[in-house]
Amino acid sequence: MSAALAPSPSLRTRVERLSGAQASALSLAIGAVLWEIVGRVAQVPFFPPLSEVLVRLGDMVVTGQIVGNLAESLGNLVIGFGVSLTIGLVLGTAMGRYRRVNAMFGIYVYALLTAPSLVFAPIFFSILGSGRGSIVGVVVMYSTFIMIITTASAVENVSPGLVEMGRSYGAGEWRLLTRVILPAAAPSIFTGIRLGVGRAVTGMINGEMFIAVVGLGRIVTQAGKRFDGAGVLAILLVIIVVAVAAVALTQLVDRRITSWVPQTSKDAA
Amino acid sequence: MIEIRGLSKAYRGQDGSQVQALADVDLTVRDNEFLTVLGPSGCGKTTMLKMIAGLIPWDEGSIAIDGVEVDGPGPERAMVFQNFALLPWATVLDNVAFGLEMRGVGKAERHERARELVTTVGLAGFETKRPGELSGGMQQRVGLARALAVQPKVLLMDEPFGAVDEQTRRLLQEELLAIWEHNRVTVVFITHSMEEAVLLGDRVVLMSARPGQISEIVDVPLERPRSSDVGGLERSSEYSEITAHLWERLREMHAEHGRVGGIAS
Repeated sequence: MSAALAPSPSLRTRVERLSGAQASALSLAIGAVLWEIVGRVAQVPFFPPLSEVLVRLGDMVVTGQIVGNLAESLGNLVIGFGVSLTIGLVLGTAMGRYRRVNAMFGIYVYALLTAPSLVFAPIFFSILGSGRGSIVGVVVMYSTFIMIITTASAVENVSPGLVEMGRSYGAGEWRLLTRVILPAAAPSIFTGIRLGVGRAVTGMINGEMFIAVVGLGRIVTQAGKRFDGAGVLAILLVIIVVAVAAVALTQLVDRRITSWVPQTSKDAA
Repeated sequence: MIEIRGLSKAYRGQDGSQVQALADVDLTVRDNEFLTVLGPSGCGKTTMLKMIAGLIPWDEGSIAIDGVEVDGPGPERAMVFQNFALLPWATVLDNVAFGLEMRGVGKAERHERARELVTTVGLAGFETKRPGELSGGMQQRVGLARALAVQPKVLLMDEPFGAVDEQTRRLLQEELLAIWEHNRVTVVFITHSMEEAVLLGDRVVLMSARPGQISEIVDVPLERPRSSDVGGLERSSEYSEITAHLWERLREMHAEHGRVGGIAS
């Protein structure tokens, strides 16, 4: 009886009660419905409704188009991102810690960060051909510089008091880096790694669209040339899943390593 | 014994003018003495401490510990920092063990030693907590335990209780005295509190600013051990006389400098 008498909660309180996961699911559902409606109303070849795209995706999976190319693309992504991460951490740490290194490399890093990375695709193509090397090169050009810069600034901004403490207890440069500076910089470094992952996925697709004879970027170009709108969007869905999964994986690692950061300050960031 | 001779340091201020942080400082710290250093802000007391720690260079003069010239940090010295300087990602135990870890002491051994010191500073049961879960007073206990863990001959303390509330500060002072009475090491303790300087020190070094110099060294003949009855000490006439004298001198310094800036640094 009391339930019947209680006023039903307003839309606003209902939204406020949603958990993060529920809110994301709701948002996805709304997006899917909007896509379906707009697709049906618009009737343009390159924006078919979601249902048509999903059917096309099913076909492509069954015919084996997706799996082989996806594996190829993931290979490019993992190698390219691995190289970027290594360069980003090593050079970024050196730039953040040593003024001279910063002076030597900073100008290049900033220039290449702002340069449109795809202009390097033809250069890689002419030197390395249409194989994996070129795609990896493009991925590296896309994702390295942002990670160098965020790592450098993270290392530079480690509290001087902590570094002084480390020195006072006799820490040499290596121990200072591995036991004090890098752990302290880790939360900010991970922000850069997340950005780097996103850019690596973009680099992979763009590189493959320009250069490769296999991979997701290649088949999306082919579908475009065939005016296969549903095919293009089906592959795009796969790419988005790859990107989201890559970022989620990064966050998982981030949480394990920086679990000491209070959750409240993470929310604020 | 710490021997400081003719220690001078100047640096360029933001307006380009030369600031004399320390000018010709001579000071001898006796073995196992508790020396407190008091002075207005800008008198160079923290600068001097960090020089003894081997953390910052100086222009002229020398610092020797038991006859050995200071040239960087060394294992016979350990420092306690004003803002605690704990590793926020490490547990209490790992923070206390940090100095030992830097010296290459194995994990089992350093944890055993750290555990003892965690108990000494009254933090038993908090070994697996992280600094963010502790109050300021507890964090500084960790800082103190970390310093004691390396068994230093010289304990350098840079306004260690400046960032905690008055009651916590009082408790920490009593505990520091008790620990020190039990394990006498040479202590150089920087403070901007006259009361703290007198309560803790065998001698109070009074420094003046612009240029940073030693203005006077005051003996504190209060009986030890002092840890058991700090309140009683504060009601004694000797305590009042010394603090009154120190205040007079500090007041003169402030008057000379046109009362700019406070005594807090």
